[in-house]
Amino acid sequence: MKRTSVKIVVAGGFGTGKTTLVRSISEIDPLTTEEVLTEASVGVDDLAGLEDKHSTTVALDFGRITINHEVVLYLFGTPGQDRFWFMWDELAQGAVGAIVLIDTRRLDSSFAAIDYFERRKIPFLVAVNMFHGERVYTEEEIRGALHLSAEAPLLWTDARNRESVRETLVRLVRHALSRLPDTEPVG
Amino acid sequence: MTYWSGDEDELGKLVPLYVLVGGRTTPRNTTLDLATQIIAYPADTAALEPQYRQIVLSCGDWVSIAEVAAHLGRPLTVVKILVDVLLEQGLLAIGAPAQQTVVNRGLLETLLDGLQRL
Repeated sequence: MKRTSVKIVVAGGFGTGKTTLVRSISEIDPLTTEEVLTEASVGVDDLAGLEDKHSTTVALDFGRITINHEVVLYLFGTPGQDRFWFMWDELAQGAVGAIVLIDTRRLDSSFAAIDYFERRKIPFLVAVNMFHGERVYTEEEIRGALHLSAEAPLLWTDARNRESVRETLVRLVRHALSRLPDTEPVG
Repeated sequence: MTYWSGDEDELGKLVPLYVLVGGRTTPRNTTLDLATQIIAYPADTAALEPQYRQIVLSCGDWVSIAEVAAHLGRPLTVVKILVDVLLEQGLLAIGAPAQQTVVNRGLLETLLDGLQRL
């Protein structure tokens, strides 16, 4: 097998704990890489208030987990701001799946991410970040508020806890496996 | 446009990006992805221009384009184009492009197994 990269996207609104989640499990300190946008890359309407800016920098945080000597997993946090949607395509293309990390106090910041992955048929799960260890809402209440389809798993996670994050990744990969067509022989 | 502030460290960042990449605006190898793995073939880098030499020297072992960009502090697009040129010159080898990685059962099972053993 050729040296292969696999990607998992960590999405969610600003302040939901994406970088914390990546940091908890990455074998390297999360790195930041930048993409420079020119005006042509950005929708004109979205530049309101930024008229004197000719280029803008989008920062992407990511971490790495070496699976074996041939397969390396990268976890990419999405840029939070809506005007950087175009970056998502590069992150999502060929990705194994996505974790949509949510903060129950700011559910509305997650709608766009859920919609993005649903439309592109990319396997995803919703991970409710337990900032304070409490579960304020039931699964049913959160699913209802997010209009989440029954197919997408929803679970609670603690982005600061390595074991919890590992379990979340395992659930996502199992979910991706379950969505493969049955035509391939099992095993 | 930015002007030199007098800080020597800033000097390298003031070279316009299109000069750095020889006018090329997109990689010709369109499968290059931010997670694509690259590795340098053993070669004498002395004759290379600094921006190319930096890249060759930073991938002595398999590494992703995103990691090279992060370490060098250069935008992803620029690093992709520099990598593209180096691939054409036969100085770098490339792993399976992440965008074209077929997410198949075997790969997912390898991934699952690896995560469970972490």
